[in-house]
Amino acid sequence: MSGAIAVLVFPGTNSENETLRLLRDCGGRAELVHWSRGETLGDFDAYVLPGGFAYEDRIRAGAISAHDRMMDFVIGGAQVGKLVMGVCNGAQILLEAGLVPGTGPIRRPAAAFTDNAPVPHFVCRHVYMKLAVAPARSPITAALPDEALIPSFAAHGQGRLAADAAQLDEIVAGDRLAFVYAHADGRLDDAAVPNGSALGCAGLINAAGNVLAIMPHPERDAWNFNHLDRRQGSDVLAPSGGSVLFASFVAAVDAR
Amino acid sequence: MSERLVEIALKIPDNAAFTALLALRRLGLDVARVERSEVWRFDDRGDPATLADRVRANETIFNPNKHRLVELETMRPRPGETWIERRDDGDEVRAHLGGKGIAGVNASRRYAGWRLLTSGGEPASRETLAAAVAGLLCNPAIEKAIY
Repeated sequence: MSGAIAVLVFPGTNSENETLRLLRDCGGRAELVHWSRGETLGDFDAYVLPGGFAYEDRIRAGAISAHDRMMDFVIGGAQVGKLVMGVCNGAQILLEAGLVPGTGPIRRPAAAFTDNAPVPHFVCRHVYMKLAVAPARSPITAALPDEALIPSFAAHGQGRLAADAAQLDEIVAGDRLAFVYAHADGRLDDAAVPNGSALGCAGLINAAGNVLAIMPHPERDAWNFNHLDRRQGSDVLAPSGGSVLFASFVAAVDAR
Repeated sequence: MSERLVEIALKIPDNAAFTALLALRRLGLDVARVERSEVWRFDDRGDPATLADRVRANETIFNPNKHRLVELETMRPRPGETWIERRDDGDEVRAHLGGKGIAGVNASRRYAGWRLLTSGGEPASRETLAAAVAGLLCNPAIEKAIY
């Protein structure tokens, strides 16, 4: 039987439906778990934190959610090796919870996905995330090819990785820079980065490789109808494009 | 030119402060009430007597329907209070002041003010404040706390 995946819904989460649908279309046994049912999270094998504005981004994006009871289960699960993936606001929550980059204590953030630069405005733009670690570095990325390019949408006002120089060095040295922004042909330069993110970072991973935080939304470019010019096959409802990352996540959950 | 501090706070119920209160209680801190404000530090070249009115005229940061404004006498946070400043707030401060800015104001800095009170209505202790800053109110990667 395949592993059970919880898609967490905090007050203010808004991307749970497409996240759930994509996980299911990739073969995952996923279900939504709202904050009022948080006590059931211990029954799940893996956790996905979707995008949105959990708790209205009060104090800072992800700050209140990181202390929510649901995160007790996610943190505990991550510490015993369960797979965790956060997308956009979900990624911000994982940083505030200290799970990624994971260079400091739990719930003592060492970095942040914060206001875009140079102009601190919301950005909605099609982007590509390029896998910046060896696929086998993490079970979540293990089914991806080397330097995989994941089409996605950046849709955030606070997606810029910010940390002090020592932290950034530790992220690089510890092989925790999982994804960087790239052009469609794989080239890397500042023009590919939509938000001024340090290191061109689009995603971070923890030391153990079981927690991944990504800012862009692969689930918004994940079916043929999202990108008819890049469709695979004739079924417009078939998953493709950004779905490869979710498929890799589901495969990793099922392999456990 | 003189340095002046102005506090702008909600006069309607502050849901963000209440959410912060619940999170601080989850941390085990003895906090019964949280007050949140926006504290502005202005380098002012205008008539000191008119600063409050000039700030109130900036609709980007002050809405008379929901805000109250107080000129602060002290240049430091009060007991039980911390001011959180973004490390790279320059562009955002300009954006928040809007295109018109504030007449007479040459430069400005902005802080998120958090005042913690115990069940007796007393300001929270410095130890409690430090725990709240470290545990919730400040992400040192992007912010610094004054208290």
